[in-house]
Amino acid sequence: MDWDQFDLNPKVIAALKKADIKSIKEILNLSGADLQRLMKLSSADIQCLLKTVSHMLRRSSMLTALQLYQDKDHRTSQHQKLSLGCSVLDNLLKGGIPLVGITEVAGESSAGKTQISLQLCLCVQYPYQYGGLESGAVYICTEDVFPSKRLQQLIDQQHKLRADVPAEVIQKIKFGNSIFVEHAADLDTFHNCITKRISLLLTRGMVRLVVIDSIAALFRCEFGASDSVTKARYLQTFGAQLHSLSTRFRTPIMCINQVTDAVSESEATQCGSSGLQCLSSTWNNLGKSTANETDGQPNTAA
Amino acid sequence: MQRDVGSLPLAPAVRARLVSAGFQSVQELLETGPCGLSKEIGISKEEALEVLQVVRQECHGDATRTTARSGASRKCTALELLEEEQAQGFIITFCSALDNILGGGVQLTKITEVCGAPGVGKTQLCMQLAVDVQIPECFGGVAGEAVFIDTEGSFIVDRVVDIAAACVQHCHLIAEAHQEEDQLKALETFSVESILSHIYCFRCRDYIELLAQVYLLPDFLSEHSKVRLVVVDGIAFPFRHEFEDLSLRTRLLNGLAQQLIIVANDHKSAVILTNQMTTRIGQSQSTLVPALGESWGHAATVRLIFHWDNSQRLATLYKSPSQKESTVPYHITVSIPFGLEIASCKGIFRHTDKSVNYVFLVLLFSSLMNITGNTGMSPDLLIFCTFSL
Repeated sequence: MDWDQFDLNPKVIAALKKADIKSIKEILNLSGADLQRLMKLSSADIQCLLKTVSHMLRRSSMLTALQLYQDKDHRTSQHQKLSLGCSVLDNLLKGGIPLVGITEVAGESSAGKTQISLQLCLCVQYPYQYGGLESGAVYICTEDVFPSKRLQQLIDQQHKLRADVPAEVIQKIKFGNSIFVEHAADLDTFHNCITKRISLLLTRGMVRLVVIDSIAALFRCEFGASDSVTKARYLQTFGAQLHSLSTRFRTPIMCINQVTDAVSESEATQCGSSGLQCLSSTWNNLGKSTANETDGQPNTAA
Repeated sequence: MQRDVGSLPLAPAVRARLVSAGFQSVQELLETGPCGLSKEIGISKEEALEVLQVVRQECHGDATRTTARSGASRKCTALELLEEEQAQGFIITFCSALDNILGGGVQLTKITEVCGAPGVGKTQLCMQLAVDVQIPECFGGVAGEAVFIDTEGSFIVDRVVDIAAACVQHCHLIAEAHQEEDQLKALETFSVESILSHIYCFRCRDYIELLAQVYLLPDFLSEHSKVRLVVVDGIAFPFRHEFEDLSLRTRLLNGLAQQLIIVANDHKSAVILTNQMTTRIGQSQSTLVPALGESWGHAATVRLIFHWDNSQRLATLYKSPSQKESTVPYHITVSIPFGLEIASCKGIFRHTDKSVNYVFLVLLFSSLMNITGNTGMSPDLLIFCTFSL
């Protein structure tokens, strides 16, 4: 870190270099008293240093809610959403799924979770005016093989499924070319995938949607009941990484979760329908929006 | 002139040398002069000059210091404190049950922490308070502005617009019922746009940005002196995944808490923090407790825990210096489609005069019936708004 570019007293800069402090993170990690001892400066100097460094980091970060509301630029606006290709679902979600953050789809087996994600992979490729993001998608499979036949069916029928879009627009889009499929059956491959491989595609702007089908499969077999602490830690790390990718690139991340039964003594007979979302409160704490498919009927009329 | 050397704002090493060389009061320092000082304690002449400069500044400052300076110790009687506390307003939450258990609403100059499971309504409460803090004084509010620090990305402007519209409508209804001069005048400047323009949003992506933002808060609040509410939505999120060294985390959180207490006190504003829940695995069972550990529990003055009981949302006052522990139900109301947006029906009907409330209820339902009757549409969603009048 080049301290000379900061607006600081030369004495402070010299002390920073002498104490071998290399980044803003190190400065903020230390308390005021520690900094005083390390750099041998008075408390007024340290306060000034902290304020200058914080200023550098947070230069022009304030927005009023009015500015956020009136922002119509599709690159930054909160109003921009990714349509799901179904007017009923879009109405429920007030336009579609938000562009920043993780969206979780949970449901029982064969409720339609994979179908809706395939549909989303196609929806993201439409132009902005039709609710898409004009970009591709990454589909990460963690258990089953990618349903390519079903995808091909959906592609062939797009002109019927998306009657609101003119046929010439649909014909121009090469749907199959922009869907990147990854297989990640265990945690390490998954970690590698989200930290290295996806970032590459995102930086180049080739994809604006990440689908993880399913996040539960990664954790269900590897962790037993006694490993809940390790599982929680992995969940938190992955969640935070996905969250930060989503924020940096304004890309929605869709995670498919499975359901498990919460067995309590009094409700043993009602288990089948209670269907709590799998993966515990740690996952749910990551601040995402959730869409549940309890009566899910696969949507073919969109 | 008799000030103790140990209390001067000098670098610790220099202070230590002065004390070990036997200097006790500043008078002795000034008498020695720079050359003598540099010889006695073994520092360079420039450093000795600097030390004496600091000493002279401090002495000058002591002589002209007023008791109103923040940071200096000020004395006041408990009676004065009581009068101050009673004169302070509360920020209402538009849920009368919640306001009752809090003793009137969210208190200024105190830190209130709201903990809860995901989806229970913590961010909704924060957004509601960011709107409610702006209610003009003639309607019983504190007429302040709000700072919203968002670490999770959950601040959705559209929802704030709904809440603001409901609040403005509620104030219009009160003003029409009472027809008072100052209320009608206040309404001229109280609109959805003005409410939105006085909510200052900061987005912090990790704990470093959050720490930096909190260091900058005192200056920001000095510039925007009307701010009466600081919301940090998601104090737990940035601190729960990056720390291998938990003692560092505890230290940073304590420092953050201290700075927020200073901000709350000096600028007479309320601070609201939202926290997550974590599972504590005991011997025979596991319970949900607020995240960030035991020591964080001391940071907030008032602690509210939001939880579910089947499908009913409940709020428990877990920690408060003045109110008793209790649990109340609350609701988050939804908006109605067909372009008729009535978000937070509870808010509209919080008028103190119950007869006015009933009249409005009847009017509301009859107009809803008219709409469905005329258009012949069956609603996609059937909304039940429950109230506790």
